Amino acid sequence: MSATSAARATGIAAWWDAIRRDRKASIGAALLAVFVLVGIVGPWLVGAPDALVGVPLQPPSGAHWLGTNGQGQDVLAQLVVGTRVSLAIGFTVGLAVVLIGALVGVTAGYFGGRVDALLSVLFNVFLVLPGLPLAIVIAAYLPSGPLTLGFVLVVTGWAWNARVLRSQTLALRRRDFVAAAIVTGESSFTIITREILPNMMSLLVAQVIGSTVYAIGAQVGLEFLGLGDVSAFTWGTNLYWAQNDSALLTGAWWTFVPTGLCVALVGFGLTLLNSGFDEITNPRLQMERAWRAHLAARGQAATRSTPVVRDRG
Amino acid sequence: MRYILERLGFYAFAAWAALTLNFFLPRLMPGDPATALFARFRGRLAPEAMQALRETFGLTDAPLLVQYFTYLGHVLRGDFGISVAYFPSPVSQVIGTGLIWTIFLAGTALIVSFAIGTLLGIVAAWQRRGWLDTWLPSTLVFLGAFPYFWLAMLALYVLGFTLRWFPLGHAYGDDLTPGFNFEFIADVVRHAVLPIGTVVLATLGGWLLSMRNTMIAVLGSDYVNLARAKGLSPSRVMLRYAARNALLPSVTGFGMALGFVLGGSLLTEIVFSYPGQGYLLVQAVRNQDYPLMQGIFLVITLAVLGANWLVDLALLWLDPRTRESS
Amino acid sequence: MAEPLLSIRDLCVDYVTDRGPVRAVDGVSFDVGPGEILGIAGESGSGKSTLAQAILRILPSPAVISGGQALLEGRDLLAAEEAELRELRWKRIAMVFQSAMDALNPVLTVGEQIVDTMLAHGAASRGASRARAGELLEMVGMSADRLDSYPHQLSGGMRQRVCIALALALEPALLILDEPTTALDVIVEQEILIQIRELHRRLGFSVLFITHDLARMLQFSDRVAVFYSARLAELGPAAGLRDAARHPYTQGLLRSFPGIHDTGRDRTGIPGAPPSLENPPSGCRFHPRCPIAVDRCHTEAPELRELAPGHVAACHLAVHAPKIASGTGGAMR
Repeated sequence: MSATSAARATGIAAWWDAIRRDRKASIGAALLAVFVLVGIVGPWLVGAPDALVGVPLQPPSGAHWLGTNGQGQDVLAQLVVGTRVSLAIGFTVGLAVVLIGALVGVTAGYFGGRVDALLSVLFNVFLVLPGLPLAIVIAAYLPSGPLTLGFVLVVTGWAWNARVLRSQTLALRRRDFVAAAIVTGESSFTIITREILPNMMSLLVAQVIGSTVYAIGAQVGLEFLGLGDVSAFTWGTNLYWAQNDSALLTGAWWTFVPTGLCVALVGFGLTLLNSGFDEITNPRLQMERAWRAHLAARGQAATRSTPVVRDRG
Repeated sequence: MRYILERLGFYAFAAWAALTLNFFLPRLMPGDPATALFARFRGRLAPEAMQALRETFGLTDAPLLVQYFTYLGHVLRGDFGISVAYFPSPVSQVIGTGLIWTIFLAGTALIVSFAIGTLLGIVAAWQRRGWLDTWLPSTLVFLGAFPYFWLAMLALYVLGFTLRWFPLGHAYGDDLTPGFNFEFIADVVRHAVLPIGTVVLATLGGWLLSMRNTMIAVLGSDYVNLARAKGLSPSRVMLRYAARNALLPSVTGFGMALGFVLGGSLLTEIVFSYPGQGYLLVQAVRNQDYPLMQGIFLVITLAVLGANWLVDLALLWLDPRTRESS
Repeated sequence: MAEPLLSIRDLCVDYVTDRGPVRAVDGVSFDVGPGEILGIAGESGSGKSTLAQAILRILPSPAVISGGQALLEGRDLLAAEEAELRELRWKRIAMVFQSAMDALNPVLTVGEQIVDTMLAHGAASRGASRARAGELLEMVGMSADRLDSYPHQLSGGMRQRVCIALALALEPALLILDEPTTALDVIVEQEILIQIRELHRRLGFSVLFITHDLARMLQFSDRVAVFYSARLAELGPAAGLRDAARHPYTQGLLRSFPGIHDTGRDRTGIPGAPPSLENPPSGCRFHPRCPIAVDRCHTEAPELRELAPGHVAACHLAVHAPKIASGTGGAMR
C-alpha cells in the first residue's frame, strides 16, 4: 500500500466525510461556524464596546439586549468584539502548539535513541509542571498583552501534543512502508514529510481542534486573573471586570453568564467536531451500531452471549 | 524498585528545572533586574523591603553561578524570601496556611470526581445504550466546556446569592475559631460544597468518557472473552477482569490531571474568596509581589510532583507488570 | 456413531456490518462423539474460530447466530438462557484460545484465574480449589509454585499450558482447542500436543481441534473436517483423508506439505487466494482455484455426499473421479 493511499484512508478527506455523516460532528461544525461568523462580521454590527451608553448594571432590555456592565458599557458589544480576539488567539495558539509539538514529538519518535531520550525528558518535565502557576509566573514578568498571553499559552501547552505525536510516530515507524522507504535510501526529512506526516493528518487535525479548546479555556482563565491586557475587550477580561465590579453580589448575572456560555458553546462545538473523528479510529463503535440495529429490527435486545436470530429467509 | 527510583529521579529533575526557571525569570527582564524591579514599584517600597528583595533573588554583585547556588541554598532551607505585600512576613509563612485549604479543595474535588466519573464510566460501558451511555456523557462534556471559575460564579449566584442555600465565600464562618470540633468541621463542609462541587461537575465528564472508552476497548479483549467462556458471573467479569485493567490508563491520567485541576481550582478559590493559594496568587499578581508569586509557584509545583509520585506508587500496586524492571 | 456428544446441524453465523451481514459459517453440520478427537482444518478467514466461539456463544458483537442447531448432550445451546449457558460453560465445554498471552488477565495471578472459575461453579472452599489448581498445573507439566506467578512472568509455552490446565479444571466433556500452538515454536508445539494427547487418553474428553496445519491435524485427530470459505468441503476419518482425499481443495492442501524424506517431488500449492466472505464466488466456492472445475461448478453449489463409510465431500466430481492418492500426504511421523 503506497503512502498516499494510506494517507487517503486516514487523511482529511476521510475526516471531512466522517463529519458529514456523523450528527454530533455536524452540530459541532455548525456551532463553530456561527461563532466564526460573529467574530468576523460581528464587530461591524454592534456599537463601540467602550462607549458609555447607559446607567451601569442595567438588566437586558430592548435597548441593550444583554444589559450594561459595571461601567455602563454595552455587554453585547463587548461580547461580540471579544469573540474575534478570543477566537483568533485560540486558533493561533492551537495551531502553534501542534506545530511545536509535532516538531518535537515526531523528531523524538522517528530518530529514537539519545534524541528521543532528551526530548522525552523535555516534554515530560513540561507536562508535569502545573500549567497555570507556570503561566502566571512567566506572564507576570512580561508586559501584558496578547503576545505575552500567546507566549505563555504555547509554553504551557505544547508538551501534551509532543507526547501524543511521538507515540503515533513510533507506531508508524514500525510499519512496512516506512521500512521500505528507509531501505531505498530516502532521506529522513523526506520520509518524515512524505510518509509519516500524511498518515497522521487526521490526528493532527484532531490535535489542533483539541488544542484550540485548551487555548481558549486557558486564555480566559489567565485574563480572568488580570494577566491579559485588562483594557482590551476579550471574553476573559469581560469576566475579570464582572468579578471586579462584584457583579455577582449585585445580582448582575448578565455581565458574566452570556460570556461563559459562549466559551462553553465554542468549546463544546469543537469537541463535538472531534467526536466525528472518534468514529474512524474506533471502528468497533461503528460495528456495534449496525449490530444493534440488526437485532432491534428483529425485535431482539442485545445480549451478552452471542444472540440467535432466525429469519424466514 | 528501579522503577520507583527512576520516577523519583525524574521528579527531582523536574523540581530542579522549576527552581532554575524561578531563578532566571527575574533576570530575563531587560536591564539590571534590581533596577527594573525598583522602577516598577516607583519608590513605594521602603529601603529594607528593596534590600530583602535583592537578597531573595540573590541579586548581589557576585557572579551568576554564585548567585545561583546562594539561591538554591536558600530554597533548600525553606527560605523563599520576604513577601513584598506582607512585608516583613517571610513568604513561607504567608503561604503556610493557604496551602492546606488548596490541597483540601483541589484534592477532595479530584478524588471525588475521579471516583464518581470512573464508576459511571464502568457502568456506562457495561450497559451501553442506557441513558447512562447516551445523555450523561454529552451533558457532562458540555458542563466541562465551561471554565471552572465560571461555573463557580454561576453556582455562587444561583445557590448562594439567590437561593441562599450556601455561604457566599470563605472556608468557614468568621465567627468560628478553627478547631477539631464538630461545629467547625460541619461549617467547613458547608463552605466547601460549592467550591468542590463546581470543580467536580466540571471534571466529571472527562473521567467518565476516558474510563468508558477504555472499558469498551478492554471488553473486546481475549481475556474478557475467556472470562465469559469460563462461566464467571457478569459482575465478576466486569470488575475483576475488565475494570481492573481499564483502570490503569485512567490512573496514569490522574497524575497528569493533577496539575490541570489545580490550576482550575486556583481560579475557583478566587470566586469564593477561599483562603487558599489562588487567592494569595491573585494578590501577589496585583501587587507584583514577585517573591510571593515565585514561592507559591514552587510550593505548588513540589506538591504536584509529590502527588504524581504517589500516583506512580499506586500504579506499581495496581499493575503487576510494572513491578518487574525491564 | 453412538449418541454424539455434540451435534451441529446447518449452523449459520453472520457478522453484521455497515454493508449488511457477512456469513462466516454457512450451513455447517457435523457430530463429535464421546472421547473422539475431531480436527477442523482450513485457511485463515475460513470461519473455523467463529464456529468454535459460536458453540460457546461467546462471539462478541457484531456476530449473530442466524440459523441451525447445536445440541450438547441433547441440550439446545442456541435456545439456552444466560444462566444455563453460564452453567454449561467450562463445566461441559471448555476452550483453549489461540494466544495465551492475550487470554490471561494480566493483573491476576495464574492461580487466581484457575480458582475463580472453580468458585464460580460452586466449589466448596478457596483452599481446596487452590490445592486442585496446583494439581492441574502439575498435570500439564508445570510446578505448583507457579500458582502465584503473573502471566507476564511465564514463557509462551508455559502460558499455553496454564490455559490447558484452566480448561480442564472442571473436567469438561468437550475441549475446544482453537489454534493452540500457532503462537509457539515448533519444539514447544510438539510438547504441548503430546501433553494434550496424554491427558485425552487419561481423562477421556472429546476434542474439537482447530488449526490451519492440516499435516499436524491428520497426525493428531481421529476424524478431520476441512473448511473452505464458511462451508465444509470434506469430512472423514484421518487415515482416509490422508491416503484418499476426495475434495480437490483437501488434495491441494496435502500436496502443499513436504514430507521430511521427500526428494524432488513437485510442490504444488493452491493457486489464487481464499475468497472474501463478503462476496463469495457463485456455485462451488472453490471453483476459481480448482484444477478440475467444470461448468456445473460455476453455477451449482455441491452438497456433501458420502463417498465411503463416514467420509463425505462436497464436490460434484468427487463421486466420479478416481481416488487420487496423494502419496504420504506429507504427514510427519
